[in-house]
Amino acid sequence: MALADAFDALPDPATLADALYVGNQSELYEHQIMQGTLLAEWAGLRNVPAERVEGCAAAGALALRHAVKDVRNGEHEGVLACGVEKMTAGGTGGATDALSAAFDRALEQRSGVTAPSQYAMLAQRYLHESDATERDLARIAVKNHRNAASNPRAQFQKEVAIETVLESEPVAAPLKLFDCAPVGDGAAVVLVTTAELAAELELPMVRVAGSGAAANNIAVAERDLTEIEGAAVASGTAYEEAGMQPADMDIAEVHDAFTVSEALLAEALGFAPAGLGYQSGLAQADRADGWTDIEMSTSGGLKARGHPIGATGLLQVIEAYEQLTGQAGDRAVPDATSAMLLNEGGVADAVTVAHVITTEASV
Amino acid sequence: MTAGEPALDASSPFTLPGFFAALADGELLAASCRDCGQVLVPPRPACYGCGGRRLEIESQPKEGAVFSFTAVHAAPPELEADVPYVVAIVELDSGARLTGRLEAAYEEVAIGDRVRLRTRAPSPQEQQLALDHERDWPVHYFDPAE
Repeated sequence: MALADAFDALPDPATLADALYVGNQSELYEHQIMQGTLLAEWAGLRNVPAERVEGCAAAGALALRHAVKDVRNGEHEGVLACGVEKMTAGGTGGATDALSAAFDRALEQRSGVTAPSQYAMLAQRYLHESDATERDLARIAVKNHRNAASNPRAQFQKEVAIETVLESEPVAAPLKLFDCAPVGDGAAVVLVTTAELAAELELPMVRVAGSGAAANNIAVAERDLTEIEGAAVASGTAYEEAGMQPADMDIAEVHDAFTVSEALLAEALGFAPAGLGYQSGLAQADRADGWTDIEMSTSGGLKARGHPIGATGLLQVIEAYEQLTGQAGDRAVPDATSAMLLNEGGVADAVTVAHVITTEASV
Repeated sequence: MTAGEPALDASSPFTLPGFFAALADGELLAASCRDCGQVLVPPRPACYGCGGRRLEIESQPKEGAVFSFTAVHAAPPELEADVPYVVAIVELDSGARLTGRLEAAYEEVAIGDRVRLRTRAPSPQEQQLALDHERDWPVHYFDPAE
């Protein structure tokens, strides 16, 4: 479906792409690896370089990054960046188990640490160090559901009340069900090509102006829980390559797998002053001085658009593409020209990939 | 381990079997960086603090303070009978941090609480989660310090 959608108005993939990367988290869901070969087959590409890319939930943006590098260095003129996950195949227990493989085995998995409990410890620390409250975090979920309500691609196209979030069942205190991204299935495809070939296709295009990546430690214990260093490093590289600043960004799709993540990433990406990222749930006029005029997670984010792990980083690209090319409908941010995309795998910045996407001319 | 020392084998605390063998004997081992002082649990051969490789094995204090914590309500299927259970990141008095179960009620825990590291054999449920090579490894956990 994602391939058919992406190539709806284009020539066959085989005439445009000569390599392919697939972001995919886990073979535990479908008992299937070799997604590079499989996707090439389904796209009608034969005997081209094609491989799966792994980095838990950052796999999608890693696939994009590899595709961008291949096109930049002239190795290929067109590359498909794909992402796919069928998480529901193993039920919630299967997803909990498969996701836990992204965390430190020796001390953390063996202690019964789960994905939500890792982020809960970030949230606990953030609530301790800043003025943020559980209500502030809930407001981020409310905002993201509101955005998703006007996104036809969203898993939950509905608004929720703040009391619904606050009264939802505990998952890993202080995080509750509505602080957490859902389990879901999804796929996404992005064609990366040269400016020359893109111009021939006569479709709106966006430019990948910057790309950065960083891997921090795997154990949740061995990091700054509230200053997401890898996100600052990876986005710093992407901003520098693009010749742009955080204040130049109009929208940001960030890795809000848990509400606290959006707050922490608002700070790490340079949109909010330290300790004030939790205000991302507020209207711009109600945020403190020092915030840029960024709109975050306009798609509904991982929380409400959905988080099919390997596809997430590329669903972020699709939101940026639709926003920057005037195809975002009721959720459109007026005159948006530049986007920061931030995709993470493992806990927080265990691996981070950042991209700057823009319609502005190269500097 | 530095140049000139014998090659690693599985009894070395720089490997997980070696680390857990010492833990089973009641000793928590870390690698301490001679260049920047970073303490790594379990030991690794390179320092994530400064990139140096001059690390030496050092026994760790068992006491420390809660740095962050949560109560797990949605557990891996094998541990469902235990929910809700508390998990904490503890900063040992040496500065090293590690995560483990904390045997206390969530409502009674606060950041900064003093705790003590203990070990036990894996429960039958934890044995179900264990891979073959992990079956003899002890499970570490924390108790509130008196």
